[in-house]
Amino acid sequence: MLKILIEKEIRDIIGSTKFVITFAVCAVLVLLSFYSGAANYTNARAQYEAAQRENLLRYEGTTDWESVDNMRALLPPEPLAALVAGVSNDIGGTIEVEARGELQAEGSKYAQEPVLASFRLLDLEFLFQVILSLFAIMLGYDAISGEKERGTLRLTFANAVSRATFIMGKLLGSLAALILPLLGAIALGCIILVLFQMPLSGQDWGRLVLIIFTGLLYCSVFLALAVMVSALTHRSSSSFLMLLVIWVAAVMIVPRASVLLAGRAVEVPTMDEIGSQKTAYSAQLWQEDRKKITGFTSTKTGDIQAIMDELNEFMSSIADERDRKMKEFAGRLNEERSNRLRQRQALALAFARLSPAASLSLAMSTLAGTSLGTENNFLSSASAYQQTFADFVEEKNGGIAGGRMVRVKISSGEEEPSATPVNLQEIPAFTYAPIPLSAAFTAAVVDMGLLVLLTMVFFAVAWIGFMRYDLR
Amino acid sequence: MSEKQTPDSVIRLEAVGLTKRYEDGVLALDHISFSVAAGQIYAMLGGNGAGKTTTINLFLNLIEPTEGEARINGIVTHKEPLKAKKNVAFVSENVMLYGNFTALQNLEFFSRIGGKTAYTRDDFRDILLRVGLPATVHHKRLKEYSKGMRQKCGIAIAIAKSAPAILLDEPTAGLDPKAGYDFLRLLETLRNEGKAILMSTHDIFRAKEVADVVAIMDSGRIIMQQPATALVGQDLENLYMHHMAGRTAALRQEQASC
Repeated sequence: MLKILIEKEIRDIIGSTKFVITFAVCAVLVLLSFYSGAANYTNARAQYEAAQRENLLRYEGTTDWESVDNMRALLPPEPLAALVAGVSNDIGGTIEVEARGELQAEGSKYAQEPVLASFRLLDLEFLFQVILSLFAIMLGYDAISGEKERGTLRLTFANAVSRATFIMGKLLGSLAALILPLLGAIALGCIILVLFQMPLSGQDWGRLVLIIFTGLLYCSVFLALAVMVSALTHRSSSSFLMLLVIWVAAVMIVPRASVLLAGRAVEVPTMDEIGSQKTAYSAQLWQEDRKKITGFTSTKTGDIQAIMDELNEFMSSIADERDRKMKEFAGRLNEERSNRLRQRQALALAFARLSPAASLSLAMSTLAGTSLGTENNFLSSASAYQQTFADFVEEKNGGIAGGRMVRVKISSGEEEPSATPVNLQEIPAFTYAPIPLSAAFTAAVVDMGLLVLLTMVFFAVAWIGFMRYDLR
Repeated sequence: MSEKQTPDSVIRLEAVGLTKRYEDGVLALDHISFSVAAGQIYAMLGGNGAGKTTTINLFLNLIEPTEGEARINGIVTHKEPLKAKKNVAFVSENVMLYGNFTALQNLEFFSRIGGKTAYTRDDFRDILLRVGLPATVHHKRLKEYSKGMRQKCGIAIAIAKSAPAILLDEPTAGLDPKAGYDFLRLLETLRNEGKAILMSTHDIFRAKEVADVVAIMDSGRIIMQQPATALVGQDLENLYMHHMAGRTAALRQEQASC
């Protein structure tokens, strides 16, 4: 009996004009999002490669390692970021790495192309979050109330059909009618990725499968919700209206409101406030060091080279000391700020997770490697690179030009025009280590679990609602 | 016309002290008892709110009785609903059916949930032809059907179930005279095949034309029940009108006193 009901449900839904039209639109959008994702990636890849060449090109012809004092760590475009943008367009993609000093990511895509920021992208996340959830509601809003209006509910229950079987058939059948066609469209989208020769590794495919799975879970939340509401109302028009209200609240309002609420609840100092504190402290340290520099007297006498070496060493040592203090101070401020930020973020996320839309965003972006943690991950990659780069510079120059001070060097005229360009290939290259799939999955599993839980809760309420439904 | 109507006919549908009081206190059905034997058409006449549809809903176990029992083939519907419903087919007023399905697909689906899985496509076609749906419309979607055609499809569904008892809820409502006439002829052939038919209707003329027993219901009670043979056309109409008039007067009085 269940099989008959499921089959009927699928055929009834898929045969409807409503389905054909909405699905056609959704399918076109799915394909478009895959296509634009692939195109964006190709673009970003070209830009990235150009920037990387430029990174070395600016030192072309340099004969002296001393002038190679900064390298750019560039965030490589990830193929999946093109499908699930997450924060990838908001965070800076470039970090200027010097042997010392603080690192900061700059040059976000939205900063470069503000028009993108105002319209955002048609990525998979948007598609699932907004379009496909509405699609799910379209399929489910008249699941029960519609059958009542058409008189088919009475007619069905004039047969040896139990309520449990019927509601089960409804839920499973409509779920299949939603998911199977979507999977078809998504499979076509994946073919586009292959045609565009997106360099997806095995892990990336794994991520993509999980991303799509999460998206489908999200759709089933809304489908179960729609069936639930239709099992609690007697007219499909009122069921549709109620669902629209819930949809607007869940998708549009709750995630935004949660950020607002958390912002009110936890005070976080702005970057500018911290910046000015740092500047003040740095000025103070300089003030102290200036005295030391003025008070410098060489212990060497006569040999100017020896005096210069001693001066260099002295300058370097106070620069090191200043650097250490500055780092400590900045570290403390930054830590305090990031603690507060974390607190605020945790609060915002806790609120936001009331909405499945937030769970979807979080899980998808985590799986795609474009989550909120991406910037930190990029910074820590860059920080590791800073160490490598500093070691390299030190090895080449026999010391680091501390605190951007002029390095005093005396050369005897003879060695001057040796002037063979340095081999830039020797500079260690920056490598970005994306968050591994296992870690991403562990982080995303909470949100995926929430989506499963919500589906099950709505499923259960739909079930209970239908057990008491007035079939007349 | 009533040669099959023997006193020892098997009782297919039976109401015994059937009572339904809704949660809001409205007494929709007040201890009604009647029976319909195989090869018999039992027509319930009455205005809106008389309790006709409630009776049918109780037979289908869509609601539970407050007191008494409805039995199909001797099975108490609210005790063994699934078993009882295997023995009954149902045609409702103005059923839309599945608009995205063709007549054949609707028929196929309802036959399958009715437990009739042995039918072939040809069998379905024959049934549709029998109720007066020409082969040209078998593959049309139901949403393109007229009301009369949908009703015919509904009857085809009931016939396909080949259950010993059939419940009809206002089956002729909204049908044009030709469709109404065809419908009654079909009902007669079903009766002659030995079906027990319980029909609710507003239509006294059709009721007296086909029914073996006519009951007039009001406010949840059967106020009159007679074999159709005992009624001359004029009698029934007068009885019904007289009763309705009395009811309207009572209503007016009630409103006036409010």
